Amino acid sequence: MRFFKKTNIDFLKPRRWAYLGSSLLITAGIVSMIVKGIDFGIDFRGGTELVLKFEHPVEIGQLRTALSTVGLGQSQIKTFGSDESILIRTAESGSGTSVGSAIKNAVQTALPDAKFTVLKEDKVGPKIGAELRRDALYAAIASLIAILGYIAIRFKFIYGAGAVVAVFHDVLTTLSFMSLLNGVIPGLNLEISLEVVAALLTLVGVSVNDTVVVFDRIRENLKVHRTMSIGEVINRSQNDMLGRTIITNGTIFIVLLVLLLGGGEVTRGFAFAMTIGTITGSYSTIYIASAIVMDWSIRKQKTA
Amino acid sequence: MILAAVVVSLIFLYPTYQDYQYRKKLSSLSGQDSITYLEQNQEDILNAKLKRLKLGLDLQGGMRVVLEVDVLQLVNDIAKNKDDNFAAILKEVREQSGSNDESVIPIFGRKFQERGIRLSRYFGNIRDADNAVLTYLNGETEKAIDRAIEIVRNRVDQYRVSEPNIQKQGSRRIIVELPGVKDEREVESLLQGTAKLEFRLLRDPAIAYRVMQSIDDFLAGKVPTDTSVASKTAKKEEKPKDALEDLLAGNKPAASDTSKEAQFVREHPFFSYVSPDQRNTGEGYVLENNRDRVMRLLARPDVQRILPIDFEFLWSAKTDQSPDGQKFYHLYAVKRVPELTGGVVVDARANVDPEDNRPIVNMEMNAEGAREWARITGANVNKRIAIALDNAVFSAPTVINKIIGGRSQITGMESPNEARLLEIVLRAGALPAPVSIIEQRSVGPSLGEDSIRAGLWTLSLALMVTVFFMILYYKTGGFVADIALVFNLLFIVAVLAGFQATLTLPGIAGMILTIGMAVDANVLINERIREELEGGKTIRAAIDLGYSKAFSAIFDSNVTTFLTGIILYQFGSGPVQGFALTLMIGIVATMFSAIIVTRVVFNLMTDRNITPNFG
Repeated sequence: MRFFKKTNIDFLKPRRWAYLGSSLLITAGIVSMIVKGIDFGIDFRGGTELVLKFEHPVEIGQLRTALSTVGLGQSQIKTFGSDESILIRTAESGSGTSVGSAIKNAVQTALPDAKFTVLKEDKVGPKIGAELRRDALYAAIASLIAILGYIAIRFKFIYGAGAVVAVFHDVLTTLSFMSLLNGVIPGLNLEISLEVVAALLTLVGVSVNDTVVVFDRIRENLKVHRTMSIGEVINRSQNDMLGRTIITNGTIFIVLLVLLLGGGEVTRGFAFAMTIGTITGSYSTIYIASAIVMDWSIRKQKTA
Repeated sequence: MILAAVVVSLIFLYPTYQDYQYRKKLSSLSGQDSITYLEQNQEDILNAKLKRLKLGLDLQGGMRVVLEVDVLQLVNDIAKNKDDNFAAILKEVREQSGSNDESVIPIFGRKFQERGIRLSRYFGNIRDADNAVLTYLNGETEKAIDRAIEIVRNRVDQYRVSEPNIQKQGSRRIIVELPGVKDEREVESLLQGTAKLEFRLLRDPAIAYRVMQSIDDFLAGKVPTDTSVASKTAKKEEKPKDALEDLLAGNKPAASDTSKEAQFVREHPFFSYVSPDQRNTGEGYVLENNRDRVMRLLARPDVQRILPIDFEFLWSAKTDQSPDGQKFYHLYAVKRVPELTGGVVVDARANVDPEDNRPIVNMEMNAEGAREWARITGANVNKRIAIALDNAVFSAPTVINKIIGGRSQITGMESPNEARLLEIVLRAGALPAPVSIIEQRSVGPSLGEDSIRAGLWTLSLALMVTVFFMILYYKTGGFVADIALVFNLLFIVAVLAGFQATLTLPGIAGMILTIGMAVDANVLINERIREELEGGKTIRAAIDLGYSKAFSAIFDSNVTTFLTGIILYQFGSGPVQGFALTLMIGIVATMFSAIIVTRVVFNLMTDRNITPNFG
């Protein structure tokens, strides 16, 4: 069984349109991030977060009233996975575990009949939050440099640059999607948590993976077909690798879809970011990474 | 080589399986039976537990707390001659350090310089240069963290949390992981309360021995002659004693009634676990494994009633090792009321005796403490005084002579480390190590179970989809790739277990991602083989070429992902690190299984003239 027999598609012809499309999407994403603000989870902002599981569904309004008695009425309160589970989040971190205890006490006093168990209680001090933000940024920069360096050594500098721009594009696109869709689909919390950052860094890996595989083929085809133009070689390589791209990314996509739909609330943000990332990863290999290598090579030939 | 890898993997995983079996068995037994079973197989169970694949707190439930030493609080505690100026600077530094990442001590030093105030006004000697004072303060911070770790460890030990993990992070932080602990309030007092250092006089050895004897008699059912209260309760409490006897009899099933050992256990239920020191020091020795049992015995209200007034048993904080390699705890009989509390200790320093090079600890007390200390030591020459931190005895030196002036020297430590530990303990009383909880995460056990279920479900579904699809698409090639995939997962789990790493939820996500990466490697190879076959090569040549040509792509793409893994591991914290670790292990396992294992399978096939079908 095979899906693709010797295709000969001119992938790179509409690349200008792709540049335009990507730019529009990212611009929209950035506008959305500015307008809506970036929804950082408590990992990055500091605060207290509790997930309480009640025996019976409770009304969020009641909980809010309960929390206003201890001055935490501004807390974010929403369901978590099921109607019985409630997530309460506040930017307050207080000393020790005082905020968490205050929340539990307030809920217990206001709703004496409602029995609940604490599924999860997190407190992150503001300083930790700032540190995590910084660490995540460093991690992102460091991995981009490492990727650029490795590909520049194994291929040529422009390939490394292409791959890094592609990765940048993927991260921005994913963030744009998350910002645009956050709060649009009910039950899908798309805030930036540690898990999402892990997902972004993983998709950096996957996207580069994809790019490198195609570059590898370009490198090989450049040696075999010395008479072909760079554009033809790149197109040839894309066609050669089409089967592989579809199979691999298709498989990863299905796996992620399973994780997204069945993995539970905890891994949902991760799975969502990865799913978007896989799609843009395959796309950016062709229309960003390869396209940059092509345009740059053509320009160099003209000037030479 | 593959065989070796598989065997090693299975060896690594065996304890996990064993542990699972033990737990299944335990949950099927109830009440008394389960205790008996637990005690019979204690060693094996502990062993298996130690080596099994550990689950992270997010999967098993529990609490993770990050503590940070409050440096400013500490500086405030050590400063002398504090005035308004000092308080103002401290306040300023607190505000400024809250908003940036620079460590506190340099900011502190700069503030003083800006105002032209010498630090030596408040710290150390008046002639000390500012830099010397700053170095001193940095040193004190380091010591404070060690102290805090020791205090926390000591308490966690006594709280009997199973498998706690306490580690230092950077220079000012402590990570405490307590699996299975749910009650935050209790933990907060466990981690943040001020440590209680006490000097407690040991009871007279003869009395200590007599009390142990009467406990033994009482537990054996003999009516003690010296305590009338106990004799009354002994009759009332007939039932638990029988249960205890059953328990003890069940403990050694091989030894029948005729065996002397069993008889001894029956006649001396206390002394069979607590051996009094033959040198007549009044101490008891309890093997590490028996500690919980003796604790249970001593905690019984009827046993408590036998104890004289102003009499208490305290445990040693650490175990000692007997010549035959067994670890044991000391059980000390001490007075209930402390002679002195640790607040009087001004300083303590581990040192080496210049005469015989043996480790010693010098301890200094304030004037008030010194006065008391002279009285106490004067009245108790040749008696022993236990140094107890939060009710765990760290040392019980003998008073050699009356100590006037508050300067004492403690000798008899076996190693410089032991002396250092005692220094830390003594200072814990003098100077609290102010810590604050800066991060706390707890996961209830039910969420943990849900996560495991969801994670495993996703993993198996992902695996099934992939396996099925690969066979459909690549026929034999896909089947071989699937074999490699199964090996791959086996290797990852085995390596995690072998390195005593912890499996977390992000770790499971990493494994799922690895499936994707592993499949990619085989897809690349299989696509290449197909191409070569279309080019008219023989199957054997096509396989050779497929592998050699696909290798550079697989290698380069895996290396870049591996690089990201390393960076994630370096910069990430807890959960992200777990993900990065499984990802890296997964990549190495992938390179091995997807390239070498599949190759060997194909070679075996072609050697036997089986033609693999690549669809």
